[in-house]
Amino acid sequence: MPEPAEKAVSAAAPEALSADAVFKALADPHRRQILHLVQLSALPAGQIAAQFEITQQAVSLHLTVLKKAGLLTERRDGSRRLYQLRPEALRLARAVLDEFWPDALARLKQAVEADHPRGDDPQP
Amino acid sequence: MTTTGELVAAVHIDAPPETVFPYFTDAELMVRWLGTTAKLDPTPGGVFAVDVGDSSARGTYVSLDPVHSVAFTWGMPGSDTLPPGGTTVEVTFTPVDGGTLVTLIHRGLPAEHRRSHEEGWRTFLGKLTAAAVGGRSAS
Repeated sequence: MPEPAEKAVSAAAPEALSADAVFKALADPHRRQILHLVQLSALPAGQIAAQFEITQQAVSLHLTVLKKAGLLTERRDGSRRLYQLRPEALRLARAVLDEFWPDALARLKQAVEADHPRGDDPQP
Repeated sequence: MTTTGELVAAVHIDAPPETVFPYFTDAELMVRWLGTTAKLDPTPGGVFAVDVGDSSARGTYVSLDPVHSVAFTWGMPGSDTLPPGGTTVEVTFTPVDGGTLVTLIHRGLPAEHRRSHEEGWRTFLGKLTAAAVGGRSAS
C-alpha cells in the first residue's frame, strides 16, 4: 500500500509491520503488561519500570522488542522518552487472527483439489 | 459460562465429503494444510495435537460423524487464556454441487467486546494465542 510513511514522531517504528514479530513480542507476559500500561497514555521508561520487579535494564530490553515489532511508538518529551501503544499493530494482529481459519481452509481447499484433481469435463 | 466469542469460516471444495473429511482425521493429510506435524487419534476423547514450529495446538476429539461432521477442542499448553481443551472447533461437511461446503465454527473464544481494558486485553491476547498456535506458517 502506497501510504506515506508514518511521521517522524514515531521514528522508532518500522516501516512495515510483521505479524510474526508482533506475535513474538506478545508472547512474553512482561511485554503484554507493558502494553497494557501504555495503552491509553504515553509513559516514560522509568515509570513503566517502576511497575515491575524486574530490572530497569530488562524493562528497557522489552521496550526495544516492542518497538521493533512496531507495537510501541517512542517520542521525546524534553529529556524523557515516552512510550505508547501503537494501535495499528494490534489491528494487524487482529486481522491476522480473523484470517486464521479462512487462510487454513483456503489451504485445505488447495490441498484437497491438488490431491484429487477433477477435470472440467466429467469423465463418463 | 461467560459470554463466548465465535469465529466462523467456510469454504467450498471441489471434492465430495468422503474425500475432504479425512483431512481432519488423518495426520498426513492434516499437515497438508494445518501445521507441520500432527498426532491424531480420531475417536471421541482421542488426542488432537498439531504443531507449528514451536507452537502447538492441543485438544481432543469431541465427536466424529464420518463425512458429516467432526468436533475437537483446541488450546495451548501453558496458556491461561487458552488452556488445552479450552475452546471447541466444530466442522461440518455439506455436499453442495458435487463438492463440499466446509463450515467451521470456533466456539468458546473469550468474548471481545468488553469495556474493561483488563478484560479486553486478556481476551485479545487469548485470541492471539489461538492464532499463534494455529501458526502463521506462511511461506
